[in-house]
Parts: sequence; C-alpha cells; structure tokens
Amino acid sequence: MWLISLRDLQWRLRRFVIAVVATGLVFGMSLLMAGSVFTLYEDGRRIVRSFGADAWVVAEGTSGPFTTSSPIPAPAAAEVARAPGVTAAEPVVIFQSTVGGDDALRDINLIGYRPGSFVAGPVTSGRRLQAPGETVADVELGVDLGEVVSAGGHDLVVVGLAEQVTWYFGQPTLFVALDDAQAIAFRGQPLAMGVATAGVPDALPEGLRTLTNEQVVADLDRLLESAVQTIDLLNVLLWIVAAGIIGSMVYLSALERSRDFAVFKATGATNRGLLAGLVLQAVVLSAAAAVVATIVAWLLKPFFAFTVEIPAPIYLRLCVVVLVVGLLASLAGLRRAVKVEPALAFGGG
Amino acid sequence: MNAGSDLQISDLTIAYSSGGYEARPIDGLDLHVSSGQLVLLLGASGCGKTTLLSALASILAPTAGSIRIGDTEVTGLQGRALMEYRRFRVGVVFQSFNLVASLTASENVQAPLRLAGVSGRRARARAEELLGRVDLSDRLQHRPGDLSGGQAQRVAIARALAHDPPLVLADEPTAHLDYIQVDGVLRLLRGLAAPGRIVIVATHDERLLPLADRIVELTPRKATASQPPRQRSLGDREVLFRQGDPGDLLYVVDDGEIELVRHLVDGTEEILGSVGPGTYFGELAPLFGQRRSATARAAGPTTVTGYTVTDFRAAHGDVIGSTGQDRPGGDGGQALE
Repeated sequence: MWLISLRDLQWRLRRFVIAVVATGLVFGMSLLMAGSVFTLYEDGRRIVRSFGADAWVVAEGTSGPFTTSSPIPAPAAAEVARAPGVTAAEPVVIFQSTVGGDDALRDINLIGYRPGSFVAGPVTSGRRLQAPGETVADVELGVDLGEVVSAGGHDLVVVGLAEQVTWYFGQPTLFVALDDAQAIAFRGQPLAMGVATAGVPDALPEGLRTLTNEQVVADLDRLLESAVQTIDLLNVLLWIVAAGIIGSMVYLSALERSRDFAVFKATGATNRGLLAGLVLQAVVLSAAAAVVATIVAWLLKPFFAFTVEIPAPIYLRLCVVVLVVGLLASLAGLRRAVKVEPALAFGGG
Repeated sequence: MNAGSDLQISDLTIAYSSGGYEARPIDGLDLHVSSGQLVLLLGASGCGKTTLLSALASILAPTAGSIRIGDTEVTGLQGRALMEYRRFRVGVVFQSFNLVASLTASENVQAPLRLAGVSGRRARARAEELLGRVDLSDRLQHRPGDLSGGQAQRVAIARALAHDPPLVLADEPTAHLDYIQVDGVLRLLRGLAAPGRIVIVATHDERLLPLADRIVELTPRKATASQPPRQRSLGDREVLFRQGDPGDLLYVVDDGEIELVRHLVDGTEEILGSVGPGTYFGELAPLFGQRRSATARAAGPTTVTGYTVTDFRAAHGDVIGSTGQDRPGGDGGQALE
C-alpha cells in the first residue's frame, strides 16, 4: 500500500508541493518563534551566570536585582561581606538606559560593578574595566574598541567587547564602573540594585534578603511571561493552520480516491492497509514540510532584530509536533476512507 | 485454481431500500454453473445484474439464500475468510475499468498481489506475465490515461486474474468500448472460461450472446403470446400478485375490490389505493417487462379477469396510458371508459 500511496503523491505532485511549501512556511514560523522564546530565556540565564555570583542580596520585599526599582545603600555590601558563609560581596547597579544622540537613541542594559572585583564580566576582545570612564560593550551594539559611546550623558571609552550578553528581547549591554553607573542612575548617590556574593550568606543585616541564581533567573523570566504566552498561542494557531493544510490535502486525496479505495476493498484490502497508506501520505507530507520549515527558519533567522538560537531539542520537538499534527489532520481523510463501501467499485462510469 | 469449483446459487433473494420502499431485484434465484462455463447475466438496467455480481463477489450480503463456490459458502464469510475470498477466490472486472490513475498498467495488476503480501519481484513478474497474456507487453509502464478503452479493459482483466481466481466476474465489460475494441475483450473473456474457472458476465450487450454457455435473463420477458382471458376469484385478503413478481397479465376488476399496497423496508406497508369494478390495473409490468412495483390483494371476495396486453387492447381498445395520469408504477388502477 505504501507504493500506491507514494505513487498517488507523485500523481498529485503539484498539489503536494504547494501543500509542503505552505505547511513548511507555517512550521518555519513556528520554529522561529520557538527559537525566539528559547533565546529570550537563555539570555537571562547567561547574563546571570556571567556575574559569577553564588548568591544575590537585595532589599527585603523587592524583586530580583535585574528588575527591582528599590535600590539599597552600596555600603551594605561591606556588611554582607562580613556575613557568615560569604567570602566576597560586590554592589552591582543594573538598569536600562540609552546610548547615542537624540537622532540615534538605542535602548541598552547597563551593568555597573567595581573594576577588579570578582564580578569581572565577560570580555571577548580588548580588556576588562580598570577605571571609571571605561566600558566593555556588547558586540551587538556595533561599536569598536577605542570608540567613545555616550550613555545617559556620560562619555565612555570602549576598552573591551563582549559577546552573548544581550537580554530582555535582545537588548545589548554595557558594562561600566560602579561609579559611572551610580552617576548615570542615581546622580552619584552610593546606591546599588543588589549585592553579588561569593559564597552564600547564612545570615543578613535586617532589611535584606538572599536570592539564589535560580531565583534571579526566575525573576527575569517573569518579565517574559506575557510575551511568551502570546508566542505560544500564536504557535498553536500556526499548528492549527498547518493541520488544516495537511488535513485538507489528505481529505481531498481520500475523497478523490474513493473509487480506488472501493476497488481495493473489493479485492480484499483491509481498512488497516488503506489507513496505513493515508497515514503514510500525511507523514511524508509532514516530514517534507519539516525540512522546508528548517530551511525557512535558517534563511529568515538573520532578519530578526535579535539573535535567534534554535537548538537541536527544538528541531526534535518540531518533528514530534509535525508528526502529531499530520496524524491528527489526516483523521478526517481516514474516516472517509473507512466509510467507503466496496460496492462503490461496481458503480458505472 | 480449484478444479471442480461449481457455482451453486440457491433461493437467493436480495432486497434493499429504494426511496423507503423495499426493492427486491433478485428474488428466489436458483442457478447452477459448472466449472469452465461462461454465463451471461442479461437484462435491462436496474434488473439486478450488478446486484447479483456484488453478492457473488461477497461485497453485498443477500437477504436470504445461499451462494456456494466449490465447498465455500460465500454468504456466510466474515473477517479474514471474507478478505481471503475477495483476494484469492474471485476476480472482478469493473464496468468503467476502475484502474488507479496514478499507477502504471503493471502496477495496477501488481496492486492486488502486493496487498496480499506478495513480494515486489514476484508481483512484477506475475503482472508482466498477465499483461503478456492480454497482449499488452508493450504497455507495462503506461498509465491508464495513456491507454485506449480496450487496452484499459484488458489491464482490468489482467488485474482480475492476478490471483488466478476460480470465479471471474465482469460487469458490462463492453460498455465503454467501440466495436473494434470489443472484439479483443470478447475473445479474452471467452478464453478465460476454462476448466477450473467460471466466468460470469453481466451485460445488456446482445453481441455477447454467442459467447455464452449459459444465459440467465434477469428481466422478465414480455408476454407476447395470446392467451384467453382468465377469470380468477379471490377470497378476502388473498394476494393476486406480489411486489417484485414478474408479471405478464394486467387485470380488470369484475366484482369486489382490490387493494394495492407497497411494502416498506421496515416491514410495514403503504396502501397506494384500491380499485373497484370496471377498473384495470397492473399494466406496466407486462407492458415493459419489469417486475411488479406493488402487491395486489383482495379486500373482501373479489373477481378479476387477467389479460395479456395484446388481448386487453383487442378487447378494450388502446386505452392504456391514454389519460396520461401519473399512477404509481401503473398499479394504481384506471377506470375503463
């Protein structure tokens, strides 16, 4: 029966190709969306990891250091450093700002820490921060070493470049000295969003609380929740569209082949055999669509405003989704094939 | 091929619903066909030829009766036995070829073999052999759309022979062929009927008559011979003729009343009307050689006289259908002038 089904696909090649391309485009969109969601989450994990902290200390009753708007006094870091279990503690300032002039403003994430501390930040080329007035810039910002960027009215010389430090929908990051960050964010007041610690504090001064790296990541993920929900919904809608395309292709095939099915049944074919043939068609269509989807995603990825990573598990998930969608979509066609009466084969012309 | 696979049809009745009424195209058919015979089922459209073929192919379950081929009781087959019967014991040549458009001639012949689990190589070899037998060795890779009607019919015959079945059924095999194409198909069908195999052909094409060993007419013959009018007395609720019976006489009510009823699928009946003295009824069956479309029975003691159409016209003039009224099946009754 598989040969008959494949021959039928060949016979209806034009329709098959159109269905594959259409379904492939839909699954390609789905793949890009899944990749986008993965990247959004992965950015958060990566930036938190880049601090090299074992734990974080923030003001009691506030969210994590990346999202809070309730700073703590920076000198609290010294008290935290003395807490049992802590070997080092560094105040960090994390906020969103802009670079460039009025005609080319660009949103950035800005991270301030003390140069030379254990919070060193990643550097791909150039060197780490050594003094105020310097910055390590995200390569996504498109600046070169030695170039001067203006952040919040402060000129900063680019001494190093870092890769994969975007977060919050691909927003690039500038690493600056703590003094510069406090100058831009707090007009020079000695405040910090939190304290990154080496070692985990067993006890803290009153008014402070400890967060693990996982809690900080979860706090960052919270910002993405509604966007991810929307993307997931769109994904499901795309799968339904794909199911509609595959379903109509298989159903039309079953409809047009009713007489063939009747002849096969009259000559001893089982329903199971016929269904296997139709399922095979759905699977072949789905598999071809998955290949097209991969190509579509690969071609369209560079046009996205932020880097979209599509790791192997997402491709695997696509394969499963495509298979399930293909099989579910072919149910109507299968039902149709089962209902065909062999007596139809005796009908005239 | 099984030697000695005679076909025995006993008291076969096939009834089905036709617009809510019970149609009974095959009613109490008895037929014995010996192995090696070619039988023609002859009759007009709707007389039950295809219905009988469907039952022989075990696609349609008869209402009553028995079909035996050799030692196989066809009417009782189910599940795997039914599937194997359809695969190995019967080959069908369908009316409009019913070849699969996407498959080549060879693949069409291979299809039933592959469906039965025969390996690709053996199926290909068998298809080549069969297509060679029907003079289509040079058309193995042609699709049905590239074949003439005669060639397509020969591919269909080759497909029916894929498993070398002891029973081959052909439904109107010449319906879509011109006279040149018919010649080859007729010779082929005749050649198939050899010891160990029965060929049954349903047709209304009388060119096939010389080929047949047996002819089974499923359409009742129109009564042409003159016979004297026959008076018949009926008791209350006595049936004069039944729905589905062949009919060669039309009747005039002399005395009493005849009720005309039509049987429904659910076992109930619908009264079409009743006819009284001086009214004729039941003229369509003898006029057109078809079965009675309703049952006529007496409503109280009744006397009727039966006439052939010719005698009726001689006695009463050409009054049949002169009013142009719409009477169900011609059995609704019409008063004589």
